Amino acid sequence: MPKIKKVKRSAITRTKKKVRRAASSNGQTDGRVGTNGAAPTKRRRATAKSMAADQRDISVSEFFAKNRHLLGYDNPRKALLTTIKEAVDNSLDACEEAGILPEIWVHVEQTGPARYKVGIQDNGPGILKKQIPLIFGKLLYGSKFHKLRMSRGQQGIGISAAGMYGVLTTGKPVKILSKISRRKPTHYYEIQIDTQRNLPQILNGKGQGVDIPPGEAGRKYIEKHGIEWTEVNAQGEDVVHGTRVTIELEAKYQRGRGSVDEYLEQTAIANPHVTLHYLDADANAHTYERSTDHLPPEPKEIKPHPYGVELGRLQAMLKDTDAPTLSQFLTGSFSRVSSAVARRICAAAGLTTRANTTRIGHQESDALYKAIQETKISNPTTDCISPIGEELILRGLHQVVPGEFYVAATRPPNVYRGNPFQIEVGLAYGGGSTAQRVSLEVLRELLGETDARTLRQFLIHTFNGVGNDAAEKIVKEAGTRSRQSPGKLKPREIEKLHAAMRSVNLDDGQTMSVMRYANRVPLQFQHSGCAITQAVMGTNWRSYGLSQSRGSLPSGPVTVMVHMASVWVPFTSESKEAIASYPEIQKELRLALQAVGRKLGMYLRRRLRVKKEGDRRATFLRYLGEVASAVSKINETDREELYGQLLKVAKKQTAEADVKLDDRGRPVDEEQQDFGRGVLIVDPEDADEKLLAATRASP
Amino acid sequence: MAKKPEVKLTGRDKRTMGELVGLADSVVTAARKRQEPHIDIPARSLSNVKYSPRKRILEMGNNKNRRHLFNLSQAKSYMQTVLVASGCKQLIEQGKTTSIRGLFYLLKHTIEGTKEETFDSQSDCDPVIEDVEVALESLREELHLYAQKKGEMVGPITLIDSGDTIDCSRMGSGGFGIPSIVEPDVIKFQKCDAKFVLHVEKDTIWQRFNEDKFWRKHKCILTHGGGQPSRGVRRLLHRLHDELKLPIYCLLDNDPWGYYIYSVIKQGSINLAHESRRMAIPDARFIGLRSKDFDRCGLSKSVTIDLSDTDRKRARQIANYPWFVKKRPWQAEIKRMLDNGFKLEVEALISKDISYVTEEYVPARLKDKDWLD
Repeated sequence: MPKIKKVKRSAITRTKKKVRRAASSNGQTDGRVGTNGAAPTKRRRATAKSMAADQRDISVSEFFAKNRHLLGYDNPRKALLTTIKEAVDNSLDACEEAGILPEIWVHVEQTGPARYKVGIQDNGPGILKKQIPLIFGKLLYGSKFHKLRMSRGQQGIGISAAGMYGVLTTGKPVKILSKISRRKPTHYYEIQIDTQRNLPQILNGKGQGVDIPPGEAGRKYIEKHGIEWTEVNAQGEDVVHGTRVTIELEAKYQRGRGSVDEYLEQTAIANPHVTLHYLDADANAHTYERSTDHLPPEPKEIKPHPYGVELGRLQAMLKDTDAPTLSQFLTGSFSRVSSAVARRICAAAGLTTRANTTRIGHQESDALYKAIQETKISNPTTDCISPIGEELILRGLHQVVPGEFYVAATRPPNVYRGNPFQIEVGLAYGGGSTAQRVSLEVLRELLGETDARTLRQFLIHTFNGVGNDAAEKIVKEAGTRSRQSPGKLKPREIEKLHAAMRSVNLDDGQTMSVMRYANRVPLQFQHSGCAITQAVMGTNWRSYGLSQSRGSLPSGPVTVMVHMASVWVPFTSESKEAIASYPEIQKELRLALQAVGRKLGMYLRRRLRVKKEGDRRATFLRYLGEVASAVSKINETDREELYGQLLKVAKKQTAEADVKLDDRGRPVDEEQQDFGRGVLIVDPEDADEKLLAATRASP
Repeated sequence: MAKKPEVKLTGRDKRTMGELVGLADSVVTAARKRQEPHIDIPARSLSNVKYSPRKRILEMGNNKNRRHLFNLSQAKSYMQTVLVASGCKQLIEQGKTTSIRGLFYLLKHTIEGTKEETFDSQSDCDPVIEDVEVALESLREELHLYAQKKGEMVGPITLIDSGDTIDCSRMGSGGFGIPSIVEPDVIKFQKCDAKFVLHVEKDTIWQRFNEDKFWRKHKCILTHGGGQPSRGVRRLLHRLHDELKLPIYCLLDNDPWGYYIYSVIKQGSINLAHESRRMAIPDARFIGLRSKDFDRCGLSKSVTIDLSDTDRKRARQIANYPWFVKKRPWQAEIKRMLDNGFKLEVEALISKDISYVTEEYVPARLKDKDWLD
């Protein structure tokens, strides 16, 4: 009888503890020492029996309701972001799995003080009626947890937790509308999560949900009941399938770092095949059009790779397997193990390939484990991961980040703990701060539009690359007060401010901005705890021509995006904010960063050389006129003719400057070739225009 | 306006003009051939001067520095060289002369389209002028240039300077300012009663000698060069020695600088080695101050000046000059100064008595023929 046993054991440990406690407090001289002896007579606080009565299952939903910070709901601002993020991630996963080019609508609307309603709709395949309540109303229900396959979501917590948070903070149910095809009815559910039982509670249609008929009748029903649904897509076609989830929650909408706006922008960079429509809380509509019509290749589900399997897991797998022989087990349970490789592993382990799997004991499995580590096994197949690709990274970066030089590198896949992963890095250099390029007219407009209360705030929030120090410098240079309201500047003060923005050197104050992605999802929090940030800071950027103080991010007008694609991304917490630093991951990150760093270094060095050569020519040109005049004064030759001839000699002499520059003093195309793949150099003038357009568009 | 028909070019002017035009033509030829224009300038450095033991003067070697237009570090000086040449051409054409400072102002302007000046200061311009001189193998006066005049002279000699007769024994307390160009076509010697020339370093001592009428008592010409003597002074000394056969005695400070002045008067300077032939006086003699004078004249310790590190370095350099290295007395002299650890200025003798130097020191040295050669 196990119960009695348990009680006995606990009694023994109790007495033991008591002895120890007495021994440790012997040295103390206060009167409490005596109470130990009286313990048996005192009423016990709880007995094993009474304690057993309290011991029960904890529902996952209860656990996460209490520990919502683990899921990214620590504050109202983050709650809004996490909710949208989970919904968008799910939508993208669903669309890609179904082979549909994703089009997503995000709608944020303020319904009260600190209360927002968010609606996220996709053009995905839709969800079957009986699955809807479980997916949105039960924690840890999903399709992705048991598969080794690259996807944005993993555990099946995200969207249901978002709904739970909404219900907890506002009491409003989660509304889900899902459509599978043009002719089938649309399912409409209002769901609450039963936190104690971790089960969905359906509120509408007498606990059964509502089926809205297709066609005109359904449209009227949707209108009548105030259900939200976007019917027409960007091409003006009907949305015939898709899902919309609406959650009302306690939240706070704020722009800037870690905002919904930032998340969607970064998502657009890493997912160039997605069209995003975003209506923010101030009713501004943003649209990120897709820049490619190609879906990323479908990631395949894979078996674990032998290198990543630990001894315990190997033993467990041996126990569970149906394969009769060791060879069959190895080839059947692992990826990249052919029968030849299995033979080699067995030979190294001193086992026969036909050994019975049920008879493998501890020693044998140990030998097998060692043999696996010693045998050369090729890396897992790459088709289980779909990286963004160098070209699309360049395209995405160029579209969103202003700059003059772009480079991307995709590392070959590697394995950590048997999970294949792949690191991609993109880097954008130059462009400087928008503050230095903005024209006086645009500045006037921006000043008129802004809702920032002080000039300093205006500078920091309107222009990228302007930090606190830089804003302070600009304000000081312009001679205005930093608390000055930006809307009330006099025309002359605006001119002064404009001049100051141009003259103040902002490069020093600018630090590299790092965009982190895991399976195409931007990571916005816990920078310092993330393997990516650590790798960026651990890279010696000084050798690539950037300045960097020890143990910090380099400075300069640089943006780096790092993407880790994997069948299983090792996050440090359930809120999926930072990647854990496995040595293999660190190594790949380092190599990828070095690859782009080298090319950046090449570019910067070349730029310096071109500039030097240009300076050299300028020096000669400066003196040529004088020489020609003086000579013509002495021997009365034609000054202009001589000048022209000297000019030609000068050009011949500084030919290097010509090779690197075309007649407008710009780098020419052939340069790109010797940079190798994955490099994009942009004409700075064009970049300027784009930059200004971007500044103007963002309020 | 540049061509005024009344200006008659002399033969020397024509030769100089030819050189200038040749320089300009080389630029045009090079440009036509798409080659880098360059100017060859004889190197004016210690490595390119040779001491000729036979002539006992410094001579310029054959090393040349090529100055390229298309060399980052030479582009500006190339431009300046051509500019100076054009300035000289202008002067010759108009039959005018100017000081090197005047030329500096003539050529100084902002380079078109920049904020850069052709010459920042006179010290930028002077070496370029010397470059043009050596490159064209022309004398300064042939380029219609002169340096600021420096140095005076007094004594029983009558000169004709640009047609004016000047009796140097009637110059009052100021003396005759030695012009920078003292060529025979400017200054002619008419009558000379002097037996020798006494050259002193600076104005103070020169005044002392003049006031004491030393030159009248000893029948000598008294000159000073205000420190390092200018070309005019050196050329005049050379002419006095060469044409009138007057011996030259130098009274200079007992320090490396004084030694160097003597060295320049005697065998020519490194910088102007190309002019040594008409300037160096290998027979010039050094009568003081000597290192031993501190003891010999019983000077007080307070009139000495401690040697600095640069002084010591410079003294050792001078001791190693080929024209000093084989002269034992000179080696002993320099060694003694280094051993003393101090230097002496001629003015130190005034501490003995105001006229000690004119009444006792110099007469005694001349009488004893106590000098260094």
